Amino acid sequence: MKRILRDTCVLFALTTLSVFVISILWMGFTDEIKLVLYLFGLSFVISVANWFLDEFTSLPIIWNYVVKYIVAATLVLFTGFMVGWFYKSNFWMAFIYVGIVFVFAYLIDAVKAKRDIDFINDKIKNKKQKIAQ
Amino acid sequence: MRIEKRQVEDKPLTVIIEYPEWNDTVDSLVRKIGMMDISFVGRIDEKSVNIGLSDIYYIENVERKLFIYTKDNVYRFDGSMADIEKRMIDTGLVRISRTCIMNTDYLKEIKQIRNSHLEAVMDNDEKLIVSRKYLPDIKRIFKREGI
Repeated sequence: MKRILRDTCVLFALTTLSVFVISILWMGFTDEIKLVLYLFGLSFVISVANWFLDEFTSLPIIWNYVVKYIVAATLVLFTGFMVGWFYKSNFWMAFIYVGIVFVFAYLIDAVKAKRDIDFINDKIKNKKQKIAQ
Repeated sequence: MRIEKRQVEDKPLTVIIEYPEWNDTVDSLVRKIGMMDISFVGRIDEKSVNIGLSDIYYIENVERKLFIYTKDNVYRFDGSMADIEKRMIDTGLVRISRTCIMNTDYLKEIKQIRNSHLEAVMDNDEKLIVSRKYLPDIKRIFKREGI
């Protein structure tokens, strides 16, 4: 299932890229294409920021997410004002959008980490048992 | 292939491979075992010492200086993390944070401190901080070992 989902995402990315390349050549940069390109660029910048946070800080998990949330929300807000996604009256929407993504990411990450830890500890237990035999 | 093992006290770890004729399987086996037999030159009290992989608990970078920790000693290593990473392929060594490489052979347990950080508890009860992003790398080592 995991592999099917991963392949679906890769295929989706390739299909979108192909369709976009043809659309750009045919019609130029429409507003929809610009929106997707902005989202792609923003995702790239957030990923780079997250990489730096992971590599150069060793915060507790919850603080790690809080800092990442603040950084991502700030970047979304900044980009949003630059390209006109938000007005001054509804800037708080950025925090909600980013918040929803982060709650999901945190939950998925927490479940995955727990599974990985259980897997590793089980393997260590089996290994020690085998050695003891 | 028959695998025999026996404990021989007071002797170094010895692997003897008996084969009817040299072929690709034997060649690959010898190369794999050879890759596991790596050692690093560390310094302690101005003396240089060869430290075998099987003696290393973890390697830590403290203020841009590398230290190799064994069960009883700490050695200074004149090399970089990249030098070690180049040689640790197919071994039990794995990076667990920006500054630490751990030998999974001496790992007792991974603990998650509630809403805080991950901790690797070694066989000698020493605790090392594990970065969450390196957890899949540790898992990969245990998956590879197929225990």
